[in-house]
Amino acid sequence: MTEAIVGFAAVLVLVFLRMPIAIAMGVVGFVGYAELRGFRASISMVARLIIDSAQDYGLSVVPLFILMGLFVNKGGLSRELYRVSYAFLGHMRGGLAMATIVACAGFAAICGSSLATAATMSKVAMPQMRKYKYADSLSTASIAAGGTLGILIPPSVILVIYGLLTETSIGKLFIAGVIPGLLGVVLYLVAVRYTVARNPAAGPAGEPTSWADRRQALMGIWAVLLLFFLVIGGLYGALDVWPIHLTFSPTEAAGVGAAGAFLIALSRRTLSFSGTLQVLVETVHTTASLFAVLIGAWVFSNFVNLAGLPEGLKAFVTSAGLGPTTVMLMILGVYLVLGCVFESLSMLLLTVPIFFPLVVGLGFDPVWFGIIVVVVTEISLITPPVGLNVFVLKGVIGDVSTRTIFRGVTPFWIVDIVRLALLVLVPWLVLFLPDSMG
Amino acid sequence: MKDPETGMDDSATTTGGGPRRLGLWRCIALAPTWLAAGVLFLLMAMTFADVILRSLANNPIESATELTRLFMAILVFASLPMVSWKGDHIVVDLLDGLFSATLARVRDILMDLVCGFVLFWPAVRVWDLAERAREFGDVTEYIGFPQHIIGWFIAFFTLATAVLYVVRGGLRIFAPSLFPPSGGSSR
Repeated sequence: MTEAIVGFAAVLVLVFLRMPIAIAMGVVGFVGYAELRGFRASISMVARLIIDSAQDYGLSVVPLFILMGLFVNKGGLSRELYRVSYAFLGHMRGGLAMATIVACAGFAAICGSSLATAATMSKVAMPQMRKYKYADSLSTASIAAGGTLGILIPPSVILVIYGLLTETSIGKLFIAGVIPGLLGVVLYLVAVRYTVARNPAAGPAGEPTSWADRRQALMGIWAVLLLFFLVIGGLYGALDVWPIHLTFSPTEAAGVGAAGAFLIALSRRTLSFSGTLQVLVETVHTTASLFAVLIGAWVFSNFVNLAGLPEGLKAFVTSAGLGPTTVMLMILGVYLVLGCVFESLSMLLLTVPIFFPLVVGLGFDPVWFGIIVVVVTEISLITPPVGLNVFVLKGVIGDVSTRTIFRGVTPFWIVDIVRLALLVLVPWLVLFLPDSMG
Repeated sequence: MKDPETGMDDSATTTGGGPRRLGLWRCIALAPTWLAAGVLFLLMAMTFADVILRSLANNPIESATELTRLFMAILVFASLPMVSWKGDHIVVDLLDGLFSATLARVRDILMDLVCGFVLFWPAVRVWDLAERAREFGDVTEYIGFPQHIIGWFIAFFTLATAVLYVVRGGLRIFAPSLFPPSGGSSR
């Protein structure tokens, strides 16, 4: 137990010295394991992990889902999603901000990254909201908050990493993210309505759109909508009907999604050879860096398990007389605090190997915990003073102060806390869909 | 400097001499990345074809799982050296503001040398395991691909990554203008 705590402290020191997280966790895990079992056993463990994980079939889901998101983005989806959302919501007070939230959710349904969602949507939605004289606080906050949906609504890179780290079903995690994601959309819409109810000038209504234009706007995204339902429906098992019998493993769903997105982008003539190469290169680079952190985290995880950290933590919790709910509340508190200083993936990698065995040992569902961790991570993305989405927006937009964005984000942050409380108190909201997958 | 075609950093390949050498270095540096990109495209096409063939013709590609494993090893490890050289690994930049330029330089040199040093052992051990697989004649189940070649591939590119870290650390010492101290945003 002491070795594990020293190891964790060593990882923190190394990552603060800017060592890549992958190597920091790998080195500490390796040295710690060697201390307990000897150099030869440790180096063999690391080498075996490297060989096996590079050839793990389940890991192929990572590059394929990243590829799908990048191809769809090349197809110009963000603009069209916003156009559709605007067509249906723009005429209401705060409608452009609401359209932004819905477009972010739609974009998140294809792209697995919150930062990418926020960065992309800010370029599309911000000029429109400026045109209709929306308050900067509301427009930027709706993009920052809407962007956080990227890591919950499937497919989600963070959920894939969680699934791989903890050997939890990625398919179930994806399906479990659907209801909390939709709940997030509804609550964000409520936050927009609340903001404009308090200050109607913050979000004036836009021009109404005719039904003919709405239909036309919808036509622009039908292929991508179909692709999303094909991927998620196939994953859920909803398409296992005569005569097609489509059921996908996560890798197959990702492969179909990536190929479908490639064909959509090709048919729209938005993809050149060099553009395709660029997307492929970006995907393999992201994949390599994600694999490196996964291997590092596994090495570290093997060490902390060998050092008896899970048992030690459990013994501590039992001797302190803490119930499972208290422990969970403490863990959530730790995440909210860590979220103020760590980027989401780093936080997940550093904490999951430590908390996961304890949480499962206390009887919590691994799928539920994965969703809760992601929701807390989402909250951290917009939490002052370092919510990363806010800074991404600040980087893209430039002339709005972070203070203004954080002020606008407050109602969204509050509904996020409400959502977290709902998901903690009513686990059914998370587990209903994955449990019905069978 | 970004290459518009590949999105890759030219600085990775501009340390050579005249135009001819530059071209050669460029090809050597980019070839593994292009290989990885090509393999990723193949993986996508194969997975799609496998699902279609299974669903519509009840005739899946038998060796798809094995090929997927092989492709994954290639695409991850072929791109690892370039990702490391470009500093694209996930890092925490929380304390960057506390380091002066000199301290940041010392930190970056140390980190590069340590990273290169520690990657050396797993590379050698993976090579040993590959040699053992070669002695036993281990092959994959369906396509009969020799296991040791995958091991060699992984070991070679891990070693290449280690060497690049050491080279970058050396360049930070002897040609600091090529690599200004890191202080950009984390990913």
